[in-house]
Amino acid sequence: MHPREGWSEGGRRLPTGMSRRDFLSRVGIGAAAGGLLAACGSPSKASPGGSTTSASAGGGVPLPRPNHPVKWPLFSGNEPIKSGLAPEKGATLQIYNWVAYINESVVKNFCKKYQCKYQITTFNTMEEAIAKLASGQLKFDIFFPTIDEIGPLVEEKLMRPLNHSYIPNIANAWPDYQNPFYDQGWQYSVPYTIYTTGMAWRKDHVPENPYTMANPWAMPWQSKYKGKVAILDDYREGLSLALMKNGIFDLNTTSASQIAAAGQQLRDLQSLVSVRIDNNDYTDVPSGKTWIHEAWSGDIAAAPAYLPKGTPVDVVGYWFPANGKGPVNNDLITVLAGGQNPVLAHLFQNYLLDSDNAIENYSYTGYMQPLTAITPQRLVAEKLLPTSLMSTVVLPSYFRRGVLELELPAQANLAWEQTWNSFSKGL
Amino acid sequence: MTTAVDNRSGDPGAHGRGRWPVLRRSAGRDGRSAAPPERWGLRALWVTLAAPGAVWLIILFVVPFYVMLAVAAGSVNLLLQSPVPVWNPLHWSGSSFAAVWHDIVGPQAFLGPPIVRTFVYTAIAAVLSLAIAYPVAYFVTRYAGRRKTLFLVLLIAPFWVSYMMRMLAWIDLLQQNGYVNRVLSLLHLVGHQVNWLGGEAPTVVLGLVYGYIPYLIIVLFAGLDRIDPSLLEAARDLGLGRWRAFWRVTLPLSKSTIVAGMFITVLPMLGDYFTNQLLSGTPGTTMIGNTIEGLLQSPGQQGQGAALALLLLVVLLVPMVYYASATARASRENI
Repeated sequence: MHPREGWSEGGRRLPTGMSRRDFLSRVGIGAAAGGLLAACGSPSKASPGGSTTSASAGGGVPLPRPNHPVKWPLFSGNEPIKSGLAPEKGATLQIYNWVAYINESVVKNFCKKYQCKYQITTFNTMEEAIAKLASGQLKFDIFFPTIDEIGPLVEEKLMRPLNHSYIPNIANAWPDYQNPFYDQGWQYSVPYTIYTTGMAWRKDHVPENPYTMANPWAMPWQSKYKGKVAILDDYREGLSLALMKNGIFDLNTTSASQIAAAGQQLRDLQSLVSVRIDNNDYTDVPSGKTWIHEAWSGDIAAAPAYLPKGTPVDVVGYWFPANGKGPVNNDLITVLAGGQNPVLAHLFQNYLLDSDNAIENYSYTGYMQPLTAITPQRLVAEKLLPTSLMSTVVLPSYFRRGVLELELPAQANLAWEQTWNSFSKGL
Repeated sequence: MTTAVDNRSGDPGAHGRGRWPVLRRSAGRDGRSAAPPERWGLRALWVTLAAPGAVWLIILFVVPFYVMLAVAAGSVNLLLQSPVPVWNPLHWSGSSFAAVWHDIVGPQAFLGPPIVRTFVYTAIAAVLSLAIAYPVAYFVTRYAGRRKTLFLVLLIAPFWVSYMMRMLAWIDLLQQNGYVNRVLSLLHLVGHQVNWLGGEAPTVVLGLVYGYIPYLIIVLFAGLDRIDPSLLEAARDLGLGRWRAFWRVTLPLSKSTIVAGMFITVLPMLGDYFTNQLLSGTPGTTMIGNTIEGLLQSPGQQGQGAALALLLLVVLLVPMVYYASATARASRENI
């Protein structure tokens, strides 16, 4: 599930059920398909029946891991653009993005600079986006996928490899993102936003402070807060919370017993507090509808805007482990192969990697970009973030020390999905 | 006297003044071979006029239905985990249907509770809706007098605001410090602030009632308004009191309207997921609609979502077919 999944243009997020992070299975499934690819020499396209059980993890398309970085192949017929090309004239830059996930004034300024027009088309779920892209009918220039999408998009030749000469601002990114494990040599992507998953709480209703609790991941399991507790509507995030409560920080576990135990923890949570499953952390915590909410850092950074009048901003707290040992994820900016304006698309990537533009973007989205010039101190100094929510800022060390929810092998992913479904839809 | 009224109640369609032409047209259809040539011209005209509607129906119902079928019986792009519709029925696969069936009755089945909840919630909501909507529609029909139009506009007014916005408004009203709790406290109906949004089944049921009751009221209004007042006058002249006249005349004559109204409200209730998600959002209140929505959002499982939706459709077709055949049978008997 993406933090922007289900957002409406008006800012209020529509309900969603299963989520984007279901998609993390894709590369796992792709692994099996990749095996077929290797065997047949041509892309394998389909498995009968809509059941994913026929695909199992194996060779072929690799699963990127921090200790197993992946360099994606380049395909003939899908080469990078040549260096030194002028931006397309009279063009309309076609941007395909999550709802409310880019500051339109940034896009306007870009188009003013390069004398182009723009069109932002939005999607609510990555499933929706991929289905449309796969049809081959849409000619978008820029796309904002998650890191688990790279493998399938590369293999399907939907992404255009980058010409680095157009993107000198990559030097502004954290060093880790100049050669990330999921796209060695950043051949196809540059980083967009980065965010953590932690715990948001209302300090005026909940006296417990997660920073002093023995096990803050167990914070939602308190019956006295019945009806006031929520977890994220996402099978990876939900089960990961339960795993971490159990002291397991391998959030890509394939252990059936660990997954089952996490499922049982969630059932217990339902019995204790009638837990709500939603992604409204950014509105429900400020409004007081929810007092304890598993939350995304970017959502809570934006939460002050949703506080009722007269409510002090410091009643909302966000906890993420000080040692950085918690869920961390990031999104990407990519150029699509079918786009008509690849030069402008490259320049747009470069534009978004400028720290001033990134700050302007942050002022709208609440999601920070992994650029060295963007620090907690700067965000506070520019009055974009209250001091009480500095914990929502992601630090460079988090990407290395944090636990990433990455692609799972197909069978393990099915176990995760089944466990989550039987909890979230079957109680 | 009573017999005469009973006959009318058993034949609601045939006795309204406005119904006689219908019967005459039916007689004309029966004597089709004797119809003059100009009748055929008239028939051709009506067929022509109906053509745009038929095409519209095909585009907006039949084609999407076939797409759902093609997705449910189709395949999956293994790399992108997106559904690949299969248009040729000869190549259809039943594995999505089998997987859904496995989730309903298999060893790891989990769809039982949401299925049961769906029907229980909908049944309660339907009964409540009828209990509220019928008196309202009856009042507007019989007692609104010159203000009937005003009331009708007020009844339609909720449709001017989107369903989502109305539900979001309820979220604010049902907050613990919201107006609902304030009013209830003011009236000393509750001793504490009720957490309506804390995963309460009654909130979901009331949300369904609120969301769909305008449809029922309007259908009931249309049906009740068409009942000939002279029939009621006749019943009263023949000695029935107000209550018995209602029971022996109005209610039987509105039976088919009630059934139609129930269909119009119950069917969307059964597939609703939005109300539930907004007003509750807890696993303890999920309905089939939430499960379908979840599967459709799940990579590689859109086929199963389509299959579950189609299975629900098949289940709902049973009462629909029964209603259609019963109506047709009653119509034949009356002729």
